Amino acid sequence: MVKDFIDRIKNLNWFFVFAILFLTFVGVVMIYSATLGMKVSILIPHLIKIFLGVILMIFVGTVNVDFWRKNGYFLYFFGLLLLCWATFYGFLGKGSRRWISVYNLNFQPSELMKIFVIISLAKFFDEKKIQNSKDYFSLILPIILVCLPVLLIFIQPDLGTAIIILFISFIVFFAAGLSWKFFITIFSLFLMVTPYLWSYLKDYQKNRILTLFNPENDPLGSGYHIIQSQIAIGSGGFFGKGWLKGSQSHLDFLPEKHTDFIFSMLGEEFGFIGTVSVIGLITVITSVGYRISNSLNQTNFNRLLGLGIISNFFFAAIINMSMVIGVLPVVGLPFPLVSYGGSSMVTYFIGFGIILSLHRSLSLQNEDSSLINTPFRN
Amino acid sequence: MTRDIETYKKLQRRSLILGLSKTFFTLIVLSKLYYLQILNKSKYGKLSDINRIKIKILYPERGRIFDLYGDPIAENRIDFQLNLFREKRNLIDQYIKKLKKIIRFDDLDLLELKKNLKSDNVSDFIILKKNLSWKELEIFELLSNKFPFLFITKEKVRNYTDELVFSHVLGYVGYQKNSDNKKLVNLKVGISGIEKVYNDKLIGSHGWEKIETNSSGRNMKKLQENLSLPGKNIQTNLISEVQNFSFKQLHGMSGSVVLMDCETGGVNCLVSTPSFNNNNFSNGVSTKEWKRLLNDKSNPLLNRSVAGLYSPGSTFKLMTAMYALNNGFNRETKFSCPGFVELGSHKFHCWKKGGHGLLNMFEGIKQSCDCYFYNLAKEIEIDSLAKLARNFSLGIKTGIDLPNESIGIMPNRAWKRSNKGEKWHLGETFNTVIGQGFTLSTPLQITTMTARIASGTEISPILMRTKNGSIKHMNYDEKNLEFIRQTMFSVVNEIGGTAYSSRLSGNLFMAGKTGTSQVRRITKMERESESGVLENKELPYELRDHSIFTCFAPFDKPKFALTVLIEHMGSGSKVAAPIAKKILELALKKYY
Repeated sequence: MVKDFIDRIKNLNWFFVFAILFLTFVGVVMIYSATLGMKVSILIPHLIKIFLGVILMIFVGTVNVDFWRKNGYFLYFFGLLLLCWATFYGFLGKGSRRWISVYNLNFQPSELMKIFVIISLAKFFDEKKIQNSKDYFSLILPIILVCLPVLLIFIQPDLGTAIIILFISFIVFFAAGLSWKFFITIFSLFLMVTPYLWSYLKDYQKNRILTLFNPENDPLGSGYHIIQSQIAIGSGGFFGKGWLKGSQSHLDFLPEKHTDFIFSMLGEEFGFIGTVSVIGLITVITSVGYRISNSLNQTNFNRLLGLGIISNFFFAAIINMSMVIGVLPVVGLPFPLVSYGGSSMVTYFIGFGIILSLHRSLSLQNEDSSLINTPFRN
Repeated sequence: MTRDIETYKKLQRRSLILGLSKTFFTLIVLSKLYYLQILNKSKYGKLSDINRIKIKILYPERGRIFDLYGDPIAENRIDFQLNLFREKRNLIDQYIKKLKKIIRFDDLDLLELKKNLKSDNVSDFIILKKNLSWKELEIFELLSNKFPFLFITKEKVRNYTDELVFSHVLGYVGYQKNSDNKKLVNLKVGISGIEKVYNDKLIGSHGWEKIETNSSGRNMKKLQENLSLPGKNIQTNLISEVQNFSFKQLHGMSGSVVLMDCETGGVNCLVSTPSFNNNNFSNGVSTKEWKRLLNDKSNPLLNRSVAGLYSPGSTFKLMTAMYALNNGFNRETKFSCPGFVELGSHKFHCWKKGGHGLLNMFEGIKQSCDCYFYNLAKEIEIDSLAKLARNFSLGIKTGIDLPNESIGIMPNRAWKRSNKGEKWHLGETFNTVIGQGFTLSTPLQITTMTARIASGTEISPILMRTKNGSIKHMNYDEKNLEFIRQTMFSVVNEIGGTAYSSRLSGNLFMAGKTGTSQVRRITKMERESESGVLENKELPYELRDHSIFTCFAPFDKPKFALTVLIEHMGSGSKVAAPIAKKILELALKKYY
């Protein structure tokens, strides 16, 4: 039993693990800098969360992928229950109701829900082949699977997470090989349904959502924030101002420097070299995860699961960066593994754990590949 | 199987599209980063510096002014001022509304604030309120958390030790009007008096400091500073004690006191009443107060000592006598005074109704007989008399280091022609020789005349303490000057002299001359009416005569020359001379 566990750990993709740990380390360096002027240090809690996250990742890595396939829908409903709890009874913070508080530990179910939605979608498309137009009616189930949590998150409101889940679901649908017609139909349906849904929202919820789309009208001044963020990144130049020396960050011109705008702080203190290195690291992690998921020997479930999880990571990172450099409007979205925030970090570690277990399943197959010589098993 | 392979190909195509789209997004982010960090580094670098670095102008501390004995007469006090970040000026209305509960804002503050806002000041801060009281300061410190971007600074502001007393001679400071340096809006310069004349010395030079602040305008850290240089201190010849005493003597009256050192020309006392509070001016005078001062009939803003013009009255007889002696006139020649002298159809009256009888020059001056001088006038050439008077500084500027000195009038033929368009009449010489008529002098000019008579040198008044240069002797016969001094001695120290009652107590003697400066013309009708010439007290205040007394002391070795002029208080012997006596006694006590 123990020997088996050690074997499983040996079989983990350690290059992938180190790349992830390196990105996490960048996060620790930035959080240290961000925490300097704060009254209460967030460095220790951050390190504890990383420690727990890494252990969780290794553990999940040793679990066989089949576990997720078998319990996919169960986990989904479990997640949905937590989400309902958070949305209707959770506590209010930063203008939205998205946290569950257990023993002073704040937990955000919407983060975990990302993984569960991906698993359940992968499970659906693995079990149900969509080959002709008749099968398209059965697509109502995955659409509901996506829409229920998105709606709940939307009325919290947490636009950033809602958009990410929609986006990732779209990618899973796309990777599953659905015809283009489906996407066109869904998009037109979405346009029709939106006004109807809108009327159901309460005024304060409408206001919160409108503010997200109109940062210029934001009384708190999102427009000001994005300008300050660009100044921070631009003033970093090629080499940066040096660690702990970012004036925009340390003199509080940069908002939310330990969470959503941590990439701006990195750009200011480490310059173009720093930002490009981080993008390089993200590219490495993404492509390794991509190669594992898209390998010839993966099952359809494994492939969709892996692509979904790695896309979740990649797009969260790229959307966060686009936000802080002024390419996309600002919606609350942390930078994966670098920003301060327990729920999202733990979720990413679980996701990477699943990728690790996908890799392990691949190397197991390679050992058996002499016996079963089919490139595509279904 | 075929379908499987087709599906497989389709899925791989989808994965490829997905991978390519990721590459595409990455490239967009990379290019934007390149744009921000490489192409526009300097722009954003500057913007981040503008965010954190604020420049504050350091205004110099104005030089202090001391009296002859080193006592300060103009100093600086600490002023607490409330400042706001210039970039947060949109907060002003909101802040003032809230601050009004704890800090008093008057119209002047708001007006100055408006002016400050408009200016292209280099400073990154705007002064919201000056002159914070201790109480206001205390309350603000408690509430300062509610007002980000507001902070308190300490500045040095001009403060005059004895307000009112030195107002005319020291002047006051204020903001530059139409200055070429609009960037230093809060720099105060001398507007009048010594403050104006010696502004370049007193002002010093400004500095600046760079301060780093955080986004809420707190945790300020000095990055770099270029200190301001305080202005130079200056020492004047004024004697604070004498000035204060003289000012008190003139309390409730309009007038002037000028005390001058006969050896150096140093002006020891220069008082003009009524006065104004120059400290109010340094803090910025309100429009209301300014209008009140301008419209005040007693004209408190006028420095009577150097810019007040009065007929020198009988004090001018010293010049007339000097002229006569200088032209070889025999001083023992006697004229009779029946109370008037006739010239053609016109009668010129002596101040003494019954007349003085037969007088020589000595008695003529001692008793200040007008008729004696009318008789002299018949021989006098006005142009030459004017020239002599100018040598004794009447009708020309004394050159004192004060702004706006009046030149006065010492009439001659040319003056009459260009100002009145008429030729000179002999009757006008009659008026001129007794110091009435067109002649107008400032108390400072009269003092300078006395100092020149006393010292026999061409001495000039100066306020600034300087090293003595050699002073030229007057180009007149010392015997004649000595005779004039003797007559002045008799005016004060001999029975029958017009200022006998004001002679000094103790063993020092002063010499002087009384004068009465007529404000009105006494008509023939009035003189011949039953009641005769109206007494001063019967006249309305504005028409009463001015009282003048000019003197020097000690007689043997002249040290001080003094002129006291009191407006509308009658004859010199009654009012001006007793005051002059008290002032001289104090000055001599302090000197010996």
